[in-house]
Amino acid sequence: MTRDALILATLREAGLNPVSGEELARRLGVSRAAVWAHIRELRALGYDIQASPHLGYRLLGTPDLLHGDDLLARLGAGHRLGRDIRVFRQTTSTSDVVEKLARDGVAEGVVVFAEAQTAGRGRLGRTWVSPAGKGLWFSVLLRPALRPPEATRLTIAAAVAVARAVRTQTGLVPEVKWPNDLLLRGRKFGGILTELSGEQDRIRHVVLGIGLDVNLTVADLPGVLRRLATSLRLELGRPVPRAELAVAVLRELDAAYARVIGTGFETLADEWESLCTTIGRPIEVALGPRRIRGRAEALDGDGALLVRTEHGHLERLTGGDVTVLA
Amino acid sequence: MDLKDIKAIIDLMRKNSISEFELEKEGFKIRLKRGPNGISPTPSEEVPGLTGAAPAPVVFHPAPPAAPPSAPGATLVPLETEIKSPMIGTFYRAPSPDAAPYVEVGTAVEPDTVVCLIEAMKVMNEIKAEAKGVITQVLVENGKPVEFGQPLFKIRPV
Repeated sequence: MTRDALILATLREAGLNPVSGEELARRLGVSRAAVWAHIRELRALGYDIQASPHLGYRLLGTPDLLHGDDLLARLGAGHRLGRDIRVFRQTTSTSDVVEKLARDGVAEGVVVFAEAQTAGRGRLGRTWVSPAGKGLWFSVLLRPALRPPEATRLTIAAAVAVARAVRTQTGLVPEVKWPNDLLLRGRKFGGILTELSGEQDRIRHVVLGIGLDVNLTVADLPGVLRRLATSLRLELGRPVPRAELAVAVLRELDAAYARVIGTGFETLADEWESLCTTIGRPIEVALGPRRIRGRAEALDGDGALLVRTEHGHLERLTGGDVTVLA
Repeated sequence: MDLKDIKAIIDLMRKNSISEFELEKEGFKIRLKRGPNGISPTPSEEVPGLTGAAPAPVVFHPAPPAAPPSAPGATLVPLETEIKSPMIGTFYRAPSPDAAPYVEVGTAVEPDTVVCLIEAMKVMNEIKAEAKGVITQVLVENGKPVEFGQPLFKIRPV
């Protein structure tokens, strides 16, 4: 843990009880002057740290920014995903950064956040609107021992993890639209993009990209999206602290990933089905130029969608654009 | 900060054609400004000392530079330019300690190619080449602090 992270963790743990400069210096193994320098740096970032003579320091407020060290400290040790967290001010897409890390042979579990993306992307090369400081735009490097067709499981796991975290942090209950959309009252607030690099029978790496509209206002959404998209803030009527949500999502994601690569994917898939508003409904799926109409029946063991077509046979879909018809 | 430091900043500004420089620390603020072509009709104002109670701006106008040498009829094409740091921070050549550097000597870059990261306020800032060319020299060691305007790479334009 870095010194900043250690200071924040210590102050957070103490709550409203002040922690003396001497105590912090002892824990960090540095001088009291060095502690003071770190406190000033944290204050410059927006952390409201009160210093009272003879008593010590108290953390009274945390800014709504993503601070890699602080996210690491809050997440705590022992997580496979989030062993390293990096925050970029702006990049094309966090998945581009993680793709580079993957090609360079970096081990799994690195998470890259960006405060803003200039070329955030969704499926099929669609753009993803990611204004500065308003959402959680991040990507995770995974190296699961799975076969390429099983990669869909990761999208399922991510959807369940996000839904759980959003529920515990806000009380809102997200729905999932197969394969990768997260909705609130029928409007999209989040998406998952799983990009795979693999060979015939082996996954080399997966870049799992997650985009969540957290504190976007109506003005942040382009006109064409206003009827289709929403944010947690728009649904709740108040902003949501992004760092807390980020840590909650990573924690759930780590647990869900353990179930994907270990045992227990079936219970994850069951949970996903209960969130999914696609199952049981008449749908139309656009697969390139092809259109399939039918009823979404279930997920199979790999997370593919089983559709009973209007001609009565069962189709197994791993991609495509779903429109729920009624 | 004393006069020697201020002189060093001015030298840095002159070398890198920086027209304005501002630094603010607790109880101390300095602002240096060079006029166009460095030509100045007014003398420099007073420089606050270390105590710096009065945050008065300091305007510095260096002497006009010597006329550049030029041969009649010849156009001056720079053989090499520099990619300079747009901020104060820590220089990183790769997005992670165990990842490969963004660029090496010999890497061909486009204006929007990311060449390095500078960490400032705990956030990674991608620095772009801003020119088309080939990297000929890496001027800063990975993980070292860099100053505003400090040259990071040499680049041969194409």
